[in-house]
Amino acid sequence: MQNQKKIILVKDTNMDKETSSMIDKFLFGLRERGLSEDVKVIRAADLNIYNKGVVVKIWPENITYANVKKDDIDLIIHRTVENGKNIDELLVSETNKQLRIVLRNCGIIDPEKIDDYLDNEGYCALAKVLSEYSPDEVIEQMKISGLRGRGGGGFPTWMKWNFAKAQKEETKYIICNADEGDPGAYMDRSVLEGDPHSVIEGMIIAGYTVGAQKGYLYIRAEYPLAIKRITLAINQAREKGLLGDNILGTDFSFDLDVRLGAGAFVCGEETALIASIEGKRGCPSPRPPYPSVNGLWGKPTIINNVETLANIAPILHNGGDWFASIGTEKSKGTKVFALTGKVNNSSLIEVPMGTTLRDIVYNIGGGVLNNKKIKAVQTGGPSGGVIPENLLDTSIDYENLQRLGSIMGSGGMIVMDEDDCMVDIAKFYLQFCVDESCGKCAPCRIGGKQMLNILSNISEGKGDLEDISSLKRISQALQKASLCGLGQTAPNPVVSTLKHFEEEYIEHINEKICRAKKCSLLSIYEIIEEKCKRCSLCQRSCPVEAINGNREVGFTIDQEKCIKCGKCFEVCKFEAVSL
Amino acid sequence: MSKLTLDSFKNKSKKAKKNNTNFIKVGLSTCGIAAGADTVFNVLKEELKKKEINVPVLRCGCAGMCYAEPLVEVKIEGMPWIIYGKVNEDVALKIIRKHVARKQVINDYIFSIKDE
Repeated sequence: MQNQKKIILVKDTNMDKETSSMIDKFLFGLRERGLSEDVKVIRAADLNIYNKGVVVKIWPENITYANVKKDDIDLIIHRTVENGKNIDELLVSETNKQLRIVLRNCGIIDPEKIDDYLDNEGYCALAKVLSEYSPDEVIEQMKISGLRGRGGGGFPTWMKWNFAKAQKEETKYIICNADEGDPGAYMDRSVLEGDPHSVIEGMIIAGYTVGAQKGYLYIRAEYPLAIKRITLAINQAREKGLLGDNILGTDFSFDLDVRLGAGAFVCGEETALIASIEGKRGCPSPRPPYPSVNGLWGKPTIINNVETLANIAPILHNGGDWFASIGTEKSKGTKVFALTGKVNNSSLIEVPMGTTLRDIVYNIGGGVLNNKKIKAVQTGGPSGGVIPENLLDTSIDYENLQRLGSIMGSGGMIVMDEDDCMVDIAKFYLQFCVDESCGKCAPCRIGGKQMLNILSNISEGKGDLEDISSLKRISQALQKASLCGLGQTAPNPVVSTLKHFEEEYIEHINEKICRAKKCSLLSIYEIIEEKCKRCSLCQRSCPVEAINGNREVGFTIDQEKCIKCGKCFEVCKFEAVSL
Repeated sequence: MSKLTLDSFKNKSKKAKKNNTNFIKVGLSTCGIAAGADTVFNVLKEELKKKEINVPVLRCGCAGMCYAEPLVEVKIEGMPWIIYGKVNEDVALKIIRKHVARKQVINDYIFSIKDE
C-alpha cells in the first residue's frame, strides 16, 4: 500500500533507561531523511522479549531486532525502513515458547456464547466420536496420546477410563474436579471462566466412553464467576441438544449438574470430594476400592481435573498421534502453570512438557522482580517442593520434578528470590496443611502439628540440631501412614527445603541467623547513626519503650527490651534502622 | 434455539475465519474484573456510541497476561493488531479517540502485538 504508515516500536528490555533516548535518535534520523510523516515511533510497554537489550519492532513487516545500539539506528532507517531489507545480525526469530492446547480459546472466544465455541471447532470432537468411534476406539486414541492426569498425580487418563468402562454396572458417573485450592494457583478457574464448553465437551466424551449417564462439576464456591459461566454453558449446551436425551440425535444420553464445594481444601481429594457430593462430611476414605470401581453412591466413577478434561476434545479432534508428538517421552502434551511470586510477569502460561524452568522464569516470566537473584521455584503447592536455582535447567515433566523432590501438582509455580527464607516457606505450607487437615487420621492430625511446632521453634531461634532428624522422621511417618494425599504429601515442602537448603536450617539453629531476614525474632534491629536524622519517630512508635536517647544525642535500641516487632524499621523514613 | 445433530457438523469448514473485521475485545474474567476491566468495558462502549463509531466491543476470558490486566485487544484495519495492557478509563478513551478514530497508536500501553 502506498500511503500505509510504518510504525516502529521500541522497548529497552533490560531496564527502561534507554528507550527514550533511542526514540529521540530514531525521530531525528527520520526527520533528516524526510520520513517523519510516514513513520511513527512508539514506546511499547512490553514486546514479549526479555533481557535482550533494546528491542525494535517494525510494522507492518513484523521485523524484530534485538540488542540494538545507538549506532545501528541509521542503518535500520536506511536499510530496513527505506529499502525494505533485513539486517541479519540484529534479527531475532521470534520464539514464542508457549503452546496453547488447553487455553486454545481462553482470551479469544466469548465464554458466554456457545456459538463462539462452535465457530472454533467446538463440539467437532464430540460429533466425530459419536459418529465414528466406539468407546474402545476412544480409549485407544487416549492411550496413543499418552495423556496423564493434570490434577497432580499424573495417572494415565486412558487407564482410569478403561477401569470404569470395564465395570458391569448400569449407572456410572463422571466428575470434574474443579476444587482448586493450592495457594497461588488459578489454572482451573481461568479455563472455566474463559472456555467452559471445552470442559463440558470433555465430560460428554468421557461419559460416552465409559457408559455414564450423569456427570457432576464440583466447583469451589469461591469461584462465583466460574460457576455462573459453567451453569450458563450447560444450559446453552442443553438447548442445542449437546446435553440431555439423545445427544446430537444419537441414542446416547448424558447430563451435567454443578455441585459447590464449601471451602475445604481436602475436598479436592477424590474420596473426600465424593463424600461431599453425597452430602456427607468431606472426609477421605481409604483406597482401594478406587472410585473407578466403587465411587459416587457406590457406582463406578471417573474423576478428572479441569485441565485433563479440556485436553480431551483436541486429542480426539486431531488424533492421539498429534498429541503424543508434543512433550517428552513419558509426559505428553502441554501443562498450564500459574506463574506467580517474585517474577516480573505474573501470568497464566501453557508450555510443552520438557520446557525448562529457566525458560519459563526468564523468557516468559520476564525475569525476577527488581533484578534480584533467584533462589528457588516452588511447584505443586502445599504438596510440592522447591527446586533450587542450580537445577532450573531441568526440563519439566512428571518424573523429573518428582526426582527433585517436588511434584508437577496442579500447576502453581511460585518464584522465590533471596529475600525468601526457606524455613519460613516450609512453615507457611505446613501451616496451610495443618489448617486444612480433616483430622480423621492420626498421622496427619498429630504429626503435622508437631512438625509445625518444631519449625516454629527453629524460626524463633529456639531450635536444636536434633530437630532436623525429628522433622525427617515425622515426615516419613506422615508420608507412609496418612490416609489420603493431603497428609501423605504435607511434609513435602519441609523435606524438599531440607534436601536443598539444609544449611539455612542449620544457620537458624546454630547461629540464630535468618539470612533472608524473614524470621523477625532472629533479627537484631539497630539504628545507623550516620543515616539517623534524629526525628524521634521510632522512639514514639516503639510499643515497649525500648528506644533510648533524645533528639540531642541520638537514639539507640535496648536489645533486652526489644520485642522485634519491626515497628521502628517500618516507620523510619531515612532507612536508618537496620536489620 | 434449534437442536444440533451429527449432520450439523458434517459440512463445517475447517475454521471459520473472522479475522478481517474490526473489533475491540476486553478480558472479563475474575482477574480482569478485579483490575477494573468492567469499567473499561463500559467506557469503551459508551465512547463508541457517543462518537457514533460502529465497532463491536466483545468479551473474552483470561488471555494469561495477568501482570498487565485489564487487557484490551484492538483490531482495526490498517493498524497493527495490538493488545493494550494496564488500561484505565483514560487509556480506554484514548483507544477510541486516537487508535480507532484517528488511527494513531498509543504510547506506553502496548503489551503485545498479534500476528495477522
